[in-house]
Amino acid sequence: MPKLTINGTEVEVKEGATVIEAFKQMNEDIAHYCWHPGLSIAGVCRLCMIDVEGARGPQIACNTVAKEGMVVTNQSEQIKDIVKWGMDFHLINHPLDCPICDQAGECGLQEQYMKFGQYDPEMDQPKVKKRKVVDLGEKVVLDSERCILCSRCVRFTDEVSKTKELGIFNRGDRSEVGTFADKPLNNKYSLNTVDICPVGALTSKDFRFRQRVWYLKNDNTVCNGCSTGCNVKVYYNEEGLFRVTPEHNEEVNGYWMCDEGRDIYKFANKNQRLLKAKKYDGSNWQELTAGKAMQELHHSLFDDVKTNCSKVGVVFTGQYTNEEYADAMQTFKSLGVASFFEWNDTADKAGDFDDLLIRGDKNPNTKGLQDEAANHSGLKKLEDAINAVNSGQIDTIFVMAPENISVYPNYQSTYEALSKAKNFIWFGANKTDGFEKSNSQNTYLIPMKSYIEKTGTFSGAKAIQKFNYVTTIVAGALTLSEAMTLFQGKEIEFELRSKPMTSLKNNHFTLNRGKL
Amino acid sequence: MFKLSSEGEAFVQKELKRYETKRSAIIPCLYKVQEENDGWVSPEAVEYLSGLMDLPSAWINEVLKFYTMFNQKPIGKLHVQVCCNISCAMNGGRELANHLNKEFNIKDGEISADGNVTISRAECLGSCGTAPMMQVNDNYYEDLTPESAVKTIKGLM
Repeated sequence: MPKLTINGTEVEVKEGATVIEAFKQMNEDIAHYCWHPGLSIAGVCRLCMIDVEGARGPQIACNTVAKEGMVVTNQSEQIKDIVKWGMDFHLINHPLDCPICDQAGECGLQEQYMKFGQYDPEMDQPKVKKRKVVDLGEKVVLDSERCILCSRCVRFTDEVSKTKELGIFNRGDRSEVGTFADKPLNNKYSLNTVDICPVGALTSKDFRFRQRVWYLKNDNTVCNGCSTGCNVKVYYNEEGLFRVTPEHNEEVNGYWMCDEGRDIYKFANKNQRLLKAKKYDGSNWQELTAGKAMQELHHSLFDDVKTNCSKVGVVFTGQYTNEEYADAMQTFKSLGVASFFEWNDTADKAGDFDDLLIRGDKNPNTKGLQDEAANHSGLKKLEDAINAVNSGQIDTIFVMAPENISVYPNYQSTYEALSKAKNFIWFGANKTDGFEKSNSQNTYLIPMKSYIEKTGTFSGAKAIQKFNYVTTIVAGALTLSEAMTLFQGKEIEFELRSKPMTSLKNNHFTLNRGKL
Repeated sequence: MFKLSSEGEAFVQKELKRYETKRSAIIPCLYKVQEENDGWVSPEAVEYLSGLMDLPSAWINEVLKFYTMFNQKPIGKLHVQVCCNISCAMNGGRELANHLNKEFNIKDGEISADGNVTISRAECLGSCGTAPMMQVNDNYYEDLTPESAVKTIKGLM
């Protein structure tokens, strides 16, 4: 474990660590573009300059291995000067179109210019114009004149996604990043190139021009797109969620996430959600609050479930938290209900894995559901539930429906099949437009909170991970635990949330915000 | 659709075995493609080579776009490269290139109407003692005057 001195402070780093990693470990400022902790070392931006005592001249910190007794500084006047004019060099052909650039506010050039640049440009030659708004497929847009050729995206496709579509073509000041013959960049991880792009050269088609980043808050949570459970950061404001980016967790997802996971926020937004509870008595639909609906169910159904417990079924999906499963199963068990069913439309692909992040089981918590059910009477198949409803063996069915319905192709048909039961109670986060026709004479639809709106744990394929409440989107929704409490005739105890609001800072990909 | 001759494909296979990494074989293979594709490398040819060498087309394109020795547009039967680097420039290399432009009525990089000639300006071709000079396809012609250069090119048509 070598010990070295950085800007006068001693620090101990891992064997083989580079000096830039030591800077990062100490949270010490160092300019850089091309270095990224998840990628190989390129050493092309020449900004992470340091003075090493006894060395012949300035070195780059990203390619200098930390050695015992090394004395390093990046605070000398010479180094500051080198970094400053290095910045100037990067900006020679940069268009400075920040007002129309979607990266503004989280741009490495803006931030590092404020920190390390602040020079008067001396270039009197016209800028080299390159191509703007190059369509790179379904998700990514390229603006090649904003590119500073750090090669992060090229290394990402070579080393991480291993799809190798990107390259740097031409040379000198005409160099530009791109795909061969502008072919689409349609790999399953393509949007990571947008995250790691330190400038506005690669931007996301989905997020582009929808919101300036300084109008968004962000918070960490766990992706519920599949059983991997990537750590993510969601960006939101009072209108809802706008995008999802990966958050570093070496054990689960490294620095990356898949493109599919970035669309997961969409179902959590208000326009996709069931906003109020609804009930149907065979002829009319009526809207009511979720709490009122659960109270009504307590009065009309609770005792009935107890007496007819053999005719009651509960269908679970792997999209709820461990705590909710425990509460729900405990509630039904105490009533004598033993028929628990598992509904999973991707069960046949559950073993699939692409050796990077994407898993075939598109539920975040199938393992948690199965583990919890193992404490009770286990889980039966969904087909059994449908058959039992058809044959009349089950006349009261509770359905804990999925929230990410894009991975439930049989969502509507399952709803229709199960609604044949006499009493049909559907807990779900999604709006049910288009299939509100219910076969049951006694239907209740109860709005559920999405994963953004609750605290809990998921048992993913790699780890059991806790995630916290991020923001409220549908104020009238309940968690499964809250619904169960109300169903038992008890009252919900609310805890005041003392969560501090975080602002944009310490982004892995863009360093710290400038202090203005 | 471009395809190398069987002799060309054998050459590619030989080059692939010659280096530690397959990537190192890109330059000789691109030369072979250029030779068999009327003096230029088309995007189709890059894709074909990518399949043949089992390398990403982006990697081959990177090499192709970096080196000026690979032509990325169709050229005439005679590729005339006039040296305009310092020795030749001092001895009238640029004037020679201008004269040829006028004589064959083409700009740099264009193909003459009869499809015979493409003129381009090159940096030092290493024949400074005999400036001005030009390279026509693979051969050097040295100690030129505008008249002798035109005569030489017309003689090669």
